[in-house]
Formats: sequence, structure tokens, C-alpha cells
Amino acid sequence: MEDNDIDEEEFEFSRNYFLAKESGKSGKKSARKISEIDLVDEQDLRAEVSNIEPKHEKEIASLINSYKSLYNEWVFELRYGFGLLMYGFGSKKTLLEDFASTALTEYNVIVVNGYLQSINLKQVAMAMAEVLWDELKMQPRSTSGGLLKDQQPFNSRSMDDLIAFLDGPHAAENECLVCLVIHNIDGPGLRDSDTQHLLARIAACSHVRVVASMDHVNAPLLWDKKMVHVQFNWCWHHVPTFAPYKIEGVFHPLILAHGGTSQSVKTASIVLQSLTPNAQSVFKVLAQHQLAHPDEEGMGIDALFTSCRERFLVSSLVTLNSHLTEFKDHELVKIRRHSDGQDCLYIPLSKDALEKLQLDL
Amino acid sequence: MAPSAADDLSLPHISDNDLKPFFVLHKGSTRQQHIKKSVGSTSRNVKVNLSSSLAASHEAEVVGDQLHENLRMKNFHNAWVKIESTIKDVLHNINADVFNEIDGWVHKSFGAICSSGKPDTNKATCSYPIVTDVTAKQIFTALVVMNNMEFVDDLQTFADLGIHLQSHGCHVANLSSVDFSAKNGIGGCLKSLSRQILKGSIDAADISILASWYMEQENSKQPVVVIVEDMDRCSGPVLSDFILMLSEWVIKIPVLLILGVATTLDAPKSVLSSKAVQHLSPFKFFLGSPADRLDAVIEAVLVKPCSGFLVGHKVAAFIRNCFLRQDGTLTSLVRAVKMAIVQHFLMEPLSFTVKGLLDEEVTQSGEPTSLAEACPKQALDLPSCMRILSEPKTEALLGGASKMKEFLNLWSCVVLCLYDAGKNQKATLLDLYYEALDPKLYNLRHSEYLESQPDSQRPSSNHGLHGQSFRNKGGLIGHTIRQVRDLPPAALFQLLEKWIKQTDGVNEIHEKVKELQLQEKFEDDNLKEPANRSRRQTIRNNGNLDKRTKELNQKAAALISSMAREHMQPIECIPFHEIVCFKNVDKLQAALLGDPRRRFQLDLLECHSFLKCSCCSKSCNVPISSMHDTTLMYTLAQEHGDLINLHDWYQSFRSIIFQRPVKERHRSKSSPSPKKRKTTTEPQNITEASVQARFCRAVTELQITGLLRMPSKRRPDYVQRVAFGL
Repeated sequence: MEDNDIDEEEFEFSRNYFLAKESGKSGKKSARKISEIDLVDEQDLRAEVSNIEPKHEKEIASLINSYKSLYNEWVFELRYGFGLLMYGFGSKKTLLEDFASTALTEYNVIVVNGYLQSINLKQVAMAMAEVLWDELKMQPRSTSGGLLKDQQPFNSRSMDDLIAFLDGPHAAENECLVCLVIHNIDGPGLRDSDTQHLLARIAACSHVRVVASMDHVNAPLLWDKKMVHVQFNWCWHHVPTFAPYKIEGVFHPLILAHGGTSQSVKTASIVLQSLTPNAQSVFKVLAQHQLAHPDEEGMGIDALFTSCRERFLVSSLVTLNSHLTEFKDHELVKIRRHSDGQDCLYIPLSKDALEKLQLDL
Repeated sequence: MAPSAADDLSLPHISDNDLKPFFVLHKGSTRQQHIKKSVGSTSRNVKVNLSSSLAASHEAEVVGDQLHENLRMKNFHNAWVKIESTIKDVLHNINADVFNEIDGWVHKSFGAICSSGKPDTNKATCSYPIVTDVTAKQIFTALVVMNNMEFVDDLQTFADLGIHLQSHGCHVANLSSVDFSAKNGIGGCLKSLSRQILKGSIDAADISILASWYMEQENSKQPVVVIVEDMDRCSGPVLSDFILMLSEWVIKIPVLLILGVATTLDAPKSVLSSKAVQHLSPFKFFLGSPADRLDAVIEAVLVKPCSGFLVGHKVAAFIRNCFLRQDGTLTSLVRAVKMAIVQHFLMEPLSFTVKGLLDEEVTQSGEPTSLAEACPKQALDLPSCMRILSEPKTEALLGGASKMKEFLNLWSCVVLCLYDAGKNQKATLLDLYYEALDPKLYNLRHSEYLESQPDSQRPSSNHGLHGQSFRNKGGLIGHTIRQVRDLPPAALFQLLEKWIKQTDGVNEIHEKVKELQLQEKFEDDNLKEPANRSRRQTIRNNGNLDKRTKELNQKAAALISSMAREHMQPIECIPFHEIVCFKNVDKLQAALLGDPRRRFQLDLLECHSFLKCSCCSKSCNVPISSMHDTTLMYTLAQEHGDLINLHDWYQSFRSIIFQRPVKERHRSKSSPSPKKRKTTTEPQNITEASVQARFCRAVTELQITGLLRMPSKRRPDYVQRVAFGL
């Protein structure tokens, strides 16, 4: 019975995939361009993005509040050696920080912002060790006796030493824990395998507990069995919040602003305007040629030279080449091999983008 | 470009801390630590509200709850400590023989090295060792075959081995494949080695330091053992270099290698260079198979009620499936048990009474079972007690605990007897355990038994019936019982011996088994007697004997089958079982195996079931403008193939945003003809820019969840869908 279910499921899965593939091909595959949308200026777009009127604010707030009743459970699991892994759609940043600041007050809490581009884990480990050291110092001498003597500053220690310190023995009846709250453990700054291995080693330390949030559907692929079962020892919690990924999304380019034609037209015209009028005209010649012969692969250098000289734009091949170098450096012009073997120049912009650009000049 | 975006002042609610890679949120408040200590190890500063079902208005009850809460946490702690130590003991016992063998080998080899003579201190500390003949450069190597592809299970084994050898006078270093990575090269493993041997005082990767340390008087009397846990995963060249280097120094530092290999003894040849292999003189050791270990752990932890915590049939099924289908590691099984026990004590308000319920010491010391005195009322409301309410309540309560213990002992005794019988047929305890827990099967068996009672003399027909009912579910128990009938006399004799041992202390069964064994002995004597008789007689006798042993087999089978029928009462059929038995398989599964791919998509597609807003729940998945933007976008994306044209997507999003929410024009979602919709009157406060901004943010959010792949250079106008179906 169950076998059948699984087969069924797999079948369903593959069928869905092929159906999707199919509909992509056979259906009237739309060839519309982003540039057809009447795009607003990038500056305005950014301003708008930060001012989006929130929807369902009340419901989201009460959803997040409803998780408060679980805090006790979470603390309990945390104490007994599980790591908490929060997943589900929506930013869990406020949830995690609220949990940490209301329910984990008796522990040291360090927050790592995994959504940032780069994170130095050694510094994190150093901060953890310092915090732990401060707490151990407060303990009665009897419980932490031997530790106190051979201290050297943490910033001169190796990662192995730091981990060994964090993994130190516990005083019998008093637990000193450092909770590591990691936002987006699958974020860009933490996504590589070395970092995850290091995180796992830190998580396995006796003085360390991890509370992490995860947002990428494929994040579990980052971990092998040792990391999952032994080091992180995850306890999964599905806590969708539907809160906007405000800070997490800041570092992603806006799809209607970057990479789109509007952007490249804009940069191209800015670059061109900074060039000499002659250079601009050379570019125009090339653009006109490209617009007139949309099917051709590009314009040969000789042809360009001839038509530029006719218009008294350049006097020698050397001057033309210097203009072309400028274009190439700014990626306004590219070179490719023509089918007859000759190198030819072309502008890597679509037809409508090129038209827009011409109007700008 | 990213930081510049972050600098943008128009972004609200972004504090300094949000842009730091990390920050200290707060330090542990020392004030509370003193309070904390007084009440076990439970946190008090958070308002305890776990026993929601019991939360009542009376203050006294609240105080009582607090007390119960503490008791529950204490009970959890005790139960887990017990389980943990039981598992440790079980694994230790399983490995003990191999460990002793290895230990013997270590000391023998060390003796061999020492007898070949030691260099004096002057020679040993010179920068390069004296090269003697090649045969002296051999490293004694133990290949420990794990019989297991999953190295996770053996991490602990090797750690234990290290401790074992250390306690038997060796310098031990435990290295793993992480130390032998191509990235760190030979320096990495050497550093790790000297860290462990020299106890962390020196960080330099220099083997001569190690050599001079070894020359010190008190160190040189002990062998140096280097354990590499998972050789198959090490970088070959680095490990080869390491071995070559050790072989150069082997006279000065008598190193013994212990390499863990997964399944094959060929591993050194495939991983190491041939030059390195030449320097190894290997010995082989075999660890117990994972299946044996699994069965031993299940027997100790789940079949014998060691801790006052048990799991129900469905949970057992889940754990079994986890093991068979998904993971196959003992580690994950132990983890599942721990998770189950955590969930149980969190969820079951009555679990504070566990202590005393199954704890023998307490009842023997004359203390009344805490179940009876502590909370009679709630316990009687448990569904499992409703059935037995015919009895006087207090009696039911008082008897409940001791009865339960009795039932459980009987149950585990029968299961273990069955396991003994099934061992020859390679029945695993996991399967047997799972089947023995099934309450449905038990009830079925019981009714059939009542009807066919006169037939108990004819077990065969009985078995036919049972066999069927068992067969439907895999029927391991029925199968095992049937196999008892076909056992050869010697095996039957052994089996009875085992049963005698197993049933010791369980009077109901023990007597019957003994009786059977007496008969067996009698038969056995008969068997030996006719040794000097004539051949013909022997043959005839053998015929008789066959008949009689068959009879014996029948009797044994009848015995075990009646044991199974009468005494194998699954935990879920016992009154008050809710207190000790964890049954909530969904909760366990959710905590152990998150299913992000499915869950994220469900969140997006059924967002109204979480938000419970009045505006969207009516629409039943028809996209409407009041929906959360990202979920709206994802719902729209479902209509596309694997590629989504951004322009079309944007237009359909836009048209829905501009739809007037009041007019209930339920157009089907299949016709998102953007041009038509554009003409509908637009709400005035929505600007084009804001729609684009919302679109952008929704795409970004989908990108964060990994459900979309961004446009590539080749396809600038399309995004790619990643997930198809749940």
C-alpha cells in the first residue's frame, strides 16, 4: 500500500514536471519583453518598494503572536540539546529576536545576520567565547577553577582553540549557554559548504545552542547526515509568518530595475554622453547600421571605417580603434566572428533598446 | 551595489544591528541564575503555560500545575538519562569484545616495535631520522571494518574506542576525514594530531616536536595510537603522505594506525598510493553489524520498559519507516526516540505521574504510587480508562499502575520469546516490535481466540486463521509461530533454553515453558539410548521419534501462540497508557523531518488558512487583489510552464491588483486577458509605480525561497520555475 503511495507520488511529481515543460513549449509561448512594460525610474521604484502598503497587517501580527505560546516548548527543546530550525514562508527575523529576548533571557544570545553578503565566522566564534568567558568568570571559583588561569586573549587564538573552549566541560549544576540566533542560515553569506561545516562544529559544542531560520526550499542539501543528526540536531518548526522579507530582500536586485533593458539603455546613454561628439557619432553609425540590417551579425571594421571617414568622423584607423577600445571597455560594443571569417562589431542591445538609445542621443 | 542600496535612507525599520554581520543581543542575566538553580533545571522566568488543558481559574490549581510542570521536567530528565545510559551500555557491550581484541593487538604490536630496539635521545632529536632498512618502516595497522556505509553511526564507536585505549595506557588521537582534506594538506592532520597528543599546548605542525615529546621519560612507555574514523572519505594523497611520513619516523615514535573502513578491506588499495600501502602491515577487525546493534538498542530501550516511556504503534511504524526507507542509521533512530520523549513530556499533562508508575524501586520502598494520590480525576478521563469504569474508581486507579507494569512485562517477555524463535529466520526485532504493538491485530486475535477456544488443541487450523490475519499486515508473528513447528529437535531444545531464561520471573509463562522443556528432555534421553540397537530398529524408532518431536514442536508452537494471544497486550490496549505512551506521530514527524519544499509551497498556495482573514478565504484559490502579493504571484505562476514570461506575469498581476474587489465578477483564472482588464476602472490610490514595486518585491521573496530562478543572459525576459507539484 505504502509503496504504491510512494510510486504514485513520484509519478505525480514527474508528470507535473513534464506537463510544465510541455505547456512551456506547445502553448502560445509568449515572447513579450520586459521592456514592453512602461517601467518607472529605478530611483522611484526603490522608493516605492520601501513604501509598499502592508496587507493583512493585523492577521500577520496575530499569527506571529500565536507562536508565543510555543516559546516554552522551544526553550525546552533547546535546553535538551536540539537546535531549532524555523522554516515557513515569511520573514522570521522579528519572531526569532522576540523569542530570544523574551524567552532566552537567562542565556547569552548572539545574533548572526545570514542574509548579509559576507560573514566572518571566526569573529562570531570569538564573540561567543568572550561572552561565555565573561559568564564563567562570574561563577563561584570552585566550579570553574582550572579554566581561569591559562587565558590568552581570544583574538589571537585559532578557530580550533575557540571551538575547544566553547566545547568545554559544564559546571555540574549550572549551565552557561551561548545561544546563536542565525537569521537565514541558508543566506548568501553562509551558503558555502566550508562555512556550514564550521557552523555545525560550533553548534555541536556543549556550551552552544543554535536557533536558525531557513528560507530556501533546498537548504537541507547543505547538510550531510553527521551535521543533521549529530551536530545541529535539528528540531524543525514550521512557522510561516507571511511578514515581508524587508531586510533580507534588500540585497537582491529588483527584477524590473536591474538587468532589464531600461537599465542598459540608461547606462549606455550615460557613458555615451561622457564621450566626445565624434565618438558618439561613430557609435550612431554603428547603431544605424545594426538597425538597418537586423539580420546581419554585425558590421565589419573596414566597413565602419569607410563610412566614418566618409562623414569626416575619423581620419585614420588608429583614431577609430581608440574609440572602439573605449566602447569595448564599457561593453557598448562587442566583437564576434562573422560567418565569412571576418571580425565584426555589434552592439549588445535589443532593437527597441537601441531605438530608445538613439532618441536619447 | 548592494551596500549602496542599504545606505538608502528611504528604507525604514532597518537598524544598525540589521546590517552588522553579528551582534550580541543580550548577555545571560546572572540575576536569574540563582533562582533557576533551585528548581531543577527548568526555566521559570517564562510563564509556564504548557498544560493548557488543565489551565483553570483557581489559583491553587495554577500552583499545582507549576508543581506538576516541575515534576514533568524532572521525569523527562530522569527518563532520558536512563535511556541514554541504557543505549550507551548496550553499545558498549556489543563493542566490548572487539575493543579488547584491538587493545590486545595494540600492546602486542607495541612490544614488537620496542623489541627491535629504540634509538637513544641524541639520535632521535636530530632533524631527520636515521634511515634503517625498509622492513623497519612498517606501520602496524588495524583495519576496522564497520559493515556499514553510514559512518555517522560509528563516530561514537571510534570515540569510545579512543577512550577505551586511553584507559589502557595509550596515547590516542582521533582524526577524521575533515583533518585529511586536500585543502589543508598534510599540515592539517599533523596539527590536529599534535593538538590531541600534546594536549593543545602547541599549534605548530612539526613532527619533530612530537618525537622529542615522545622521548621524554614517562611518555615513551606507551604506544601512540592514531585512529582515522572514516578512511573512505579521506583525501587519498594527504593520507598517503601522512602514512609515508609516519613510516619515516616509526622507530622514534612507535605509531599504530587504526583505520575505519566502511565495507571492504580493499579500501586502502583504492584510497592510498601503492607506496603508502607498502608501509602498512594490516590486521583486520570486524565491528558488529548495524542490524544487530539496532536490535539490541530496541530491545533494551523500547521493548523492555526501562524508563517509563514507550511509543505507540503508529510512532513505531514511523520510526521503522524512517529506518528502512529514509535513513538507515541508528543515530537517527535514537534521535527519533529522544524527540518523541521530549514531545511526550511537553504534551501530556499527566506525564508528571510517570515516576512511580513504572519505577520499581519506588513501589518497593512502600511509597504509594503517585498516580493514585496525585491526580485521580484527570487520569480517569483518559479515553483508555473509559472502558474499565465499571470498576470502582479508586480501585481502578490503585490497580492501574501495577497492572500496567504487569501487562508490560508480559508483553515484552512474549515479544522477546518470539524474537528468539524468529532469529533463525532473520526476523528483525524492529519488525516484530512494530507488529506486536498493533492494537488492531491484538483485538482481532482476541475475538478469534474466544470463538475458537475449543480448537486450541489443534493449533494448525488456528494458525491458518491467524496466519491470514497476520499475513495481511506482513504477518511476521504468525510466520514465526509457524516456523516453530518446523524446527529440528536440537534447535527447538536451544529455543526452549532461551525461553526459560527469557521468562524468568514471569510466572504465568515460565511454568509452561518448563513443563515443555521436561518433555523435551525426556525425548532427548530416548534419542540417545538406541545408539547400540540394530539398524532396523533405529529406523523404526526414528519414525516414532519424528512423530514425537513433531508433537513437541506442535506443543511449543501452541504455547507460543497462546502466549501471543493471551499475554501480548499492546501498550495501547492498557488503561492509563496515555501517561507513558507517546502516540502523536504527526508531531514527531514534523519535528524530525521538515519538508520545506512542500511546506513553503503550501504556505504560498493556501495562505488564507494561516492568516484567517475574512477577505481572501472565500475566494478558494481564485486569485483576487486582497491576497498577499507573493502568494498571489505564486498562484498566478502555477498557470505557466517551466518558464514564466515576466511581461505576461506582470500584466496578469497588475490586472488582478486593479480589479475592483467589490464587484464579484468571478472570472475564471484561466483567462487573464490583460487588455480587457486594463479597461476596468482603476482604484485611484494605486499607482503604476507601486504595482511595479509590489511585483518586484514578490519576485524577490520568491527568489529568497528558492522557488524561482532569475532571468539569465540567454533568457532575459523569463524566470524559471523550480518546483512542480508539491
